[in-house]
Amino acid sequence: MSEVEIDWPWQYSFPPFFTLQPHPETRHKQVAAWKSLILAYCQKTKTYIIDVREATQFSLFNNSAINRKLEHNVIVSILSELQKTGNAAAVDKAKNRWEIYWHTLEEWASMIYEYVSNSGMQNTVLTLYELVHGENSNGEEFNGMQQEVLLKVLKVLERERKCEVIVEDDMQGAKFF
Amino acid sequence: MGIIFGKKKPPSRVTEQDKAVLQLKQQRDKLKLYQKKIELALNKDREVAKQLINKGQKERAKLLLKKKRYQEQLLLKTDAQLENLEKLTHDIEFAQVEVQVVEGLKKGNEALKQVNESLNIEDIENILQETRESVDKQNEINELLSGKLTDEDEEAVEKRIGRHH
Repeated sequence: MSEVEIDWPWQYSFPPFFTLQPHPETRHKQVAAWKSLILAYCQKTKTYIIDVREATQFSLFNNSAINRKLEHNVIVSILSELQKTGNAAAVDKAKNRWEIYWHTLEEWASMIYEYVSNSGMQNTVLTLYELVHGENSNGEEFNGMQQEVLLKVLKVLERERKCEVIVEDDMQGAKFF
Repeated sequence: MGIIFGKKKPPSRVTEQDKAVLQLKQQRDKLKLYQKKIELALNKDREVAKQLINKGQKERAKLLLKKKRYQEQLLLKTDAQLENLEKLTHDIEFAQVEVQVVEGLKKGNEALKQVNESLNIEDIENILQETRESVDKQNEINELLSGKLTDEDEEAVEKRIGRHH
């Protein structure tokens, strides 16, 4: 994984942070801190998918400087907490692959729709590629979004009747209204 | 075969033209990716050519330069094709706009027609007739009243004259 400049919070260098704390109040604070850290990390590195089986490759879960890493099942339980607030979703039954939504699907949907309106692209069709990889969207936060996540975001807009997804043979696009 | 967007949802608002435009845009995307690939190759080759020249391998450097020129030609050709694609896309989109404008005009005309039909000529004539009759009556009344007033005025004036005598 490419390393981006991360402003690690103080807890990151604190060994007990990587062990699930028994005391309920402490655990509560710990989990909250982990939730923020995970979302901030993913936002900074534009990580849309985390595979827990590869957790040790992420400096997020593995601080080699203090030789501590977060256990597999702890990661899964924290991600499950994130799922409750709409900030993550497991994509396989075994709960190994997780999509991370540092913006919830609804927030992403608003952002994309705003971009489309501001660019005067209502009532036109766009390919999924140009939406998140085109030159126009370079400054946007959703630039580079993974296709699976993008499709889920567009489904939200579909329910609001603001777009219609077109997926057929060789075509992957959406019409915005 | 397309995917049916019916199910329990309202009918699709995606037209055949939309799909045609989408296909064109997919082609455009592919061309752009292709261009990126060639540009990357070009850049790499430039570096390699430099190194070859530094190492004194002029012949190999020349070959590489030929390849580089060929790739630049490809880039120009794909640029031209991109232009064609974009023009066609814009033409289709504009045609769609024109269709919408014509639709709008049609609807406007129909609405105007309906309004005009509800304004029956006979009704209008009747209304004008009634208005004329009312205006005539009003004038009669006015004259009577003016006549009457003048008489009264005369009396008042005579009375006053009578007093000063």
